[in-house]
Amino acid sequence: MITFDQVSKRYGERLALDSLSWQMNEGECVVFLGHSAAGKTTLLRLITHETQPTSGRVTVGTFRGGRLTRGQRALLRRTLGIIYEDFRLLGDRTVFENIALAVRIAGHSRDDEVIPRVMYALEQVGLQLKQAAFPHELSAGERQRAAIARAIVNRPAVILADEPTGALEQRSADDVLALLRRIHGEGAALLVVTTRREVANGLPGRVLEIEDGHLAHAPSGPGPETEGGLPAGEFAPPGAESGISGASPPPDAAAPPTEAGA
Amino acid sequence: MHGFDLREALRSFRHHRGIATTAIVALTAALTLAGLFLMLAHNATVALQFVGDRREMVVYLRDDVTDSQRDDLVNRLTGLFGSVTYVGKNAAWKDFAQQVGDPQLLEAVDQNPLPASLRVRLRPELLAAPAMALAAKQVGEMPEVEDVRYGAEWVRRLDDITRGLERGALAAGIAVALALILVVYNTIRLTVLARRQPIEIMSRLGATDGFIARPYVIEAVFEALIASVLSLGLLYALQQAAASQISGVVFLPWSWAAAFVGAAVALAWLGASLALSRVLRAVGA
Repeated sequence: MITFDQVSKRYGERLALDSLSWQMNEGECVVFLGHSAAGKTTLLRLITHETQPTSGRVTVGTFRGGRLTRGQRALLRRTLGIIYEDFRLLGDRTVFENIALAVRIAGHSRDDEVIPRVMYALEQVGLQLKQAAFPHELSAGERQRAAIARAIVNRPAVILADEPTGALEQRSADDVLALLRRIHGEGAALLVVTTRREVANGLPGRVLEIEDGHLAHAPSGPGPETEGGLPAGEFAPPGAESGISGASPPPDAAAPPTEAGA
Repeated sequence: MHGFDLREALRSFRHHRGIATTAIVALTAALTLAGLFLMLAHNATVALQFVGDRREMVVYLRDDVTDSQRDDLVNRLTGLFGSVTYVGKNAAWKDFAQQVGDPQLLEAVDQNPLPASLRVRLRPELLAAPAMALAAKQVGEMPEVEDVRYGAEWVRRLDDITRGLERGALAAGIAVALALILVVYNTIRLTVLARRQPIEIMSRLGATDGFIARPYVIEAVFEALIASVLSLGLLYALQQAAASQISGVVFLPWSWAAAFVGAAVALAWLGASLALSRVLRAVGA
């Protein structure tokens, strides 16, 4: 699903990633653990094609390395669900509208397509009652849950999370981790980058430690054993045939959307 | 264009009233200045045409010209140069008496010394000084003609003024148009840059350039439309105020006003598209 093949990335004199090779399969959970400036965010930016590798090749699904056109890049990003540390919700839209925007971006313009999807995502993150609230009216934990709902609403094959609990206090962080575990449990591949070991330990996948652009050592956690970052064994993602990865349709909307959402 | 794009444009307009108002005020100011220039140029053109249309050539006839010779001459001049009006000796004296006004002065003149004349209103293509000079020369060579006057110096000066005004208007027009393009482009660009964050977020979510750009372009077009209508309103008020003080001051022809609005909208569309393509390139790197 995602493959890094001898990928290096240099910003001027600074080498952010140095000949990094690793692979992630469908439905797998991988956590990159490392200190600040270890290269974690660069890794995510390479996956989303916000930047290009200086050398090597990044493959994401059917997008096999090289420079993509703007249209291809947009298409690639629509296959990913991205969660940021600072949430990146649009402040002038309600929770419902923020999530609905992702659905419309994916090409669903009719309300009868948009509303059930949004309501299902809201239900998944437990924010049905906050659908009409604006981001500034939510707690940090609720904002991150709204961002997660936006990331999962189009049932992407893989969810990328950049320090998803970085801005949260302990209880909200635990809630968000539990939510990520559940989403992964329903079949979505999950790639998390974090500086916190407790986050890595709180997720069920392989943990790859990254240090100054290198993979530090073999992974820990319940994932398959690997050597040099490459997966060694077969990995059977839980619930790969259903849930987030796109197989099942969302249930009917539990409640009608707010006026602002429609 | 989609209903969603329109709704998004209206939402952005409502939620960012400050930015939208600033853009509209800046655009209105720039468009009013440009419109003022257009109105001045139009009024100058109208005034020059009015003066130019009054140009005529006066052909003085010899005293021994018979009626049939005169009629023949009228026919020839009409065919060659334009409409001709005959002013007989008596009519000329009447005009002269009216202009002088002092009967004692008029009594001092024994007999009417004024010649009969033909007043020729030249066709438009003969109104320029060189053409008038050539026409006067040709007419002066005709046997029935005593003399030809057309105010050569005055016509030359009027032509010089017209040419100078045309050149000045062209140079000023280019400068105003460039300034307007820059103001519109930069105003729209600033409104787009103020929305860099939502643009960046949409790009990260996988929105195509068209999806992101359309609402902003529509919003820019709205703003330009409002600003151009406001500036036309201001110009109309200005024209009405000026017309009450100076007669003959006219508003822009409606075709010009429509073109003015169209140009403002087109500039806004272009400015917004260019600004968005730059922002999109920057955020979507």
